[in-house]
Amino acid sequence: MVSLTRSGERTLEEKEALLGYALIAPSLLLIAAVILYPVLYNVYLSFTAVPLSPAESPEWIGLQHYQDLAQSGEFWSALRTTVVFTFFSTTLATLGGLGAALLFNRKFRGRRFARGLVLLPYVAPLISIAFVWRFMLDPLYGIIPYVGADVLGLYGGDVDLLSNDRTALWSVIFVDAWRYFPFAFLMLIARVQAIPSDMYEAAKIDGASRFAQFKDITLAELKYILATVFLLRWIWNFNKFADIWLLTRQVDTLPIYAYKVAFANYQHGQAAAVSMVLFLALIGFVLVYVAWILDW
Amino acid sequence: MSTKSTYRHTVDSFKNALGLGEQTIETSLFERLVFYIALGLSLFVTLFPFYYMTVASLTPEANLYSLPPTLLPDEITLTHYRTVFGPETFPFLTYFKNSFIVATITAGASVLVATFGAYSFARLDYAGRGIFSRGVLMVYMFSGILLVVPMFQVIVWLGFVDSLWSLFITYLVQTLPVSLYMLGNYFRSIPEEIEEAAIMDGYSRLEVIFKITLPLSAPAIVAVFFFTFMIAWNEYLFASIFLESQGVYTLPIGIEALASGFHQVWGEIMAASLLTSVPLIVMFMYLEKFMVEGLTFGAVEG
Repeated sequence: MVSLTRSGERTLEEKEALLGYALIAPSLLLIAAVILYPVLYNVYLSFTAVPLSPAESPEWIGLQHYQDLAQSGEFWSALRTTVVFTFFSTTLATLGGLGAALLFNRKFRGRRFARGLVLLPYVAPLISIAFVWRFMLDPLYGIIPYVGADVLGLYGGDVDLLSNDRTALWSVIFVDAWRYFPFAFLMLIARVQAIPSDMYEAAKIDGASRFAQFKDITLAELKYILATVFLLRWIWNFNKFADIWLLTRQVDTLPIYAYKVAFANYQHGQAAAVSMVLFLALIGFVLVYVAWILDW
Repeated sequence: MSTKSTYRHTVDSFKNALGLGEQTIETSLFERLVFYIALGLSLFVTLFPFYYMTVASLTPEANLYSLPPTLLPDEITLTHYRTVFGPETFPFLTYFKNSFIVATITAGASVLVATFGAYSFARLDYAGRGIFSRGVLMVYMFSGILLVVPMFQVIVWLGFVDSLWSLFITYLVQTLPVSLYMLGNYFRSIPEEIEEAAIMDGYSRLEVIFKITLPLSAPAIVAVFFFTFMIAWNEYLFASIFLESQGVYTLPIGIEALASGFHQVWGEIMAASLLTSVPLIVMFMYLEKFMVEGLTFGAVEG
């Protein structure tokens, strides 16, 4: 609104701007106080030894925590686990979402209702989901070990899928992909349905195979949204804590490592350093990804 | 990122999904068969855990701990639910009430603060608004784990440990960026001409907000309320470090405590899990249309 009318002493633009600042102020104050300040404080804490008693102030120790991390086998293994977990759970969830979106692109009776049902894993509370999977994977009475080991004989029945070193990570990856594929599905189905069907008609006339149509039309049209979904899921999975922690204590990703360092070992300064590395690694990935894949 | 156009596409495609437009593709019987098998399989994989949760919560103890696992109980019992609601074993109702209070207050406050904030950077013109709206997106990427150590120090310093206030503060701020982002996108999708016309008619900016923009945004506000409620209802990390006594536990912490007890009580855990899901699933069924739209233009963290 451009107007030169004077009402009182301020112009309309000035009044709008003032109103703008007034309306955004509560949000900014809250975010500054409870997000920005803690994030900066976290940077500071990562260079200090934080005493157990809140009455004493942290003692500056410089890069000590970071040096300790660089020499810690646990840290490097947590970083590796984080990347493996994030890569596979993100890829599986994105592919699952793509598959479901292509499936739901077809018209069928009850499609709307079915779409609502597919979203349930994403909508249901995490705690319920973690526990039903823990029950289904229970080594003694769980249905998955029963079917997998006893009925189909896919693996030895004495393996506890959630506490065994080798299988716990994969179980968590699978459950995570199951819970979050609806997110990818929802983001993708909109685009899938927006692809004009005459593109396929034209391809058919040109004699393009089903696979060629999928590759050259569907995937080409979905490239950007697929890359965005992958990026969002990557960011969220990289930071994931509760989903993994509630399923098993055998998978140590960086967030879980940070949590243990902070609240089991009470080394808050060290934990602050872990979370800083987590954050920097994520930002690094996002910048490379955005420049390379999304071409921004 | 063209969230706005994603949103438009979504609205269009849901119109299509409702059967307006979109032509049916003629296919062979074999293709239809493959399609229905694939659909059946996806629904099975998606829904089986929910089915199993329900069945287990109704299965008598003895049958839960025997093989093969019960898929269709020949005997149904409400014992597990009675235990969950009976105060002597564990205070499920207290947890439920705590979760409900925290989630409702968080969602209400977050929507209220964010409505004005989002309107401000979606519509009003002033120096720095671009930084504010981009800054919100940056904040969106800070994870809970980055905040947990400093927030713990702050909450201890404030003396809010073991009080629901600690959760209220952290959840409000954790949900605020989501709310600002979703509502900002929504406000921008309302044609500006409507508001300009009202201003021509002599409405003040505030009157425009309350009499025109907010009523038009009701669906988005409902969706945002749901998502912030969901985030607060699910939150585990901060609750696990701030809460110490059972009386203030929220559902995630309470059920976790029940499960890590000495005895395995899967029947009760499944009953409690199901009851914990009920508010979200009921809200979701009621608000499905708004929710799906909200999700696609908000990209809510999960």
